[in-house]
Amino acid sequence: MTEKTLLIPKIESGIVIDHIPAGLGLKVLEIIHSYPEMSAVVTSVGLNYSSSKIAKKDMIKLQTQALPPRLMQHLAMAAPGVSVKRVERYRVVEKLVITVPETIVGTARCRNPGCITNHERDVVTRFSCVDPGAKRFRCSFCEGIFPIHELEVIVPSLV
Amino acid sequence: MKRDLISIADLGRPDLLRYLEQAAHVEALPAASKSRLLTGRVLAVLFFEPSTRTRLSFEAAMARLGGSVLGFAEATTASVVKGESLRDTARTVERYADILAIRHPREGAARVVAEATGIPIVNAGDGTNQHPSQTLLDLYTLKKYFGTLDGLKIALAGDLKYSRTVHSLVQALALFDAVEFTLVSPPMLRLPEYLRESGPAARAKFAETEVLDDAVERCNVVYMTRVQKERFPDLLEYEKVKDAYCIDARLLQHAAPGLKIMHPLPRVNEIHADVDQTPHAGYFDQVANGVIMRQAIMLDLLGVTP
Repeated sequence: MTEKTLLIPKIESGIVIDHIPAGLGLKVLEIIHSYPEMSAVVTSVGLNYSSSKIAKKDMIKLQTQALPPRLMQHLAMAAPGVSVKRVERYRVVEKLVITVPETIVGTARCRNPGCITNHERDVVTRFSCVDPGAKRFRCSFCEGIFPIHELEVIVPSLV
Repeated sequence: MKRDLISIADLGRPDLLRYLEQAAHVEALPAASKSRLLTGRVLAVLFFEPSTRTRLSFEAAMARLGGSVLGFAEATTASVVKGESLRDTARTVERYADILAIRHPREGAARVVAEATGIPIVNAGDGTNQHPSQTLLDLYTLKKYFGTLDGLKIALAGDLKYSRTVHSLVQALALFDAVEFTLVSPPMLRLPEYLRESGPAARAKFAETEVLDDAVERCNVVYMTRVQKERFPDLLEYEKVKDAYCIDARLLQHAAPGLKIMHPLPRVNEIHADVDQTPHAGYFDQVANGVIMRQAIMLDLLGVTP
């Protein structure tokens, strides 16, 4: 039995969010738990594992069958590059690597305090990727360009 | 599908050239035939920020095309003071008008209105973001002076950080060939990086300086801007830079031949009145061209062929 199994037990079925850059695990967990339907899901969290792909990684295991689609977009914003694996009978049956999204719709707040989206009620924010390498996004309204990590995630419980 | 004029970033070089041709055509029309082109059409002007030229220019443009105008010139007289959303205001006004020009202190306001309504929207200035009709009239003025927009050497001086006019103009001129920009500003009012790094501007040639004198000697155009007190979060910062640059007749003694001084107006101290009588003064030509270009814009967006 490997050390990894001892540190965070395997799950029979559920979702594993893997390759989270070390330090972002708790942020990802906060986002996950901001979804009311996820708040009661049995969750295991592992921090600072050694990884062959990235220097150190965090990992979250959820005993649920699927993630809300909007949560996937949140993950793409908060930690692009993570992998989401679906596990059945202790085996990975599906794996998806979350890449930098082309657009971010309704899940991020513009960081320009003068942007109309921060003042007009119920405007759905919209950002498009202008530089995938540098992960820079352009607000469709104020036209400002910001790195993805500077965009504040709008979590459902705060909407 | 309706069309709007929200941002220069939405346009390509062919669009800009189409507007320039349309404006030249409109200018050449006899006044009598122009005065019936938009008979029965209504322009709504929603100005949530003070303006003299832009609002009156739109109103004059519509009046001379035979249409009529309604709207407000300050937000204090509108239902927004009662808490009405911008979109509800716009959705109401679109029932009264065929085309709408909006000025608003928040960046992106015109886009929000355009997406909420079914009539053509013209962005007449949204915060520090864009002022596309000003840019089109500036391009028209430049084209009339120099015959072409390719190869221009233009200095942009003053408040390059908050000036929506400058932001739009950089994006537009970057679509033309071999345009050279000289950015003249104090360090705290530099052009935002994202405007130089994205779109066609990423390929344009920029030089930066804090000294205006050299630009006057080297460039075809010096485009002055007012340091906008209303955009500064800290008025102490404004006091430090408010009179950073001033052009007067003495400075122009060393000007390049044919140099034009342009300014979107209003000016405060950036251009001395003694420049007005020199052949370099171009700012009142911009005012006149503004009416022509705004006629061209409204005709284009309303699908009326003059």
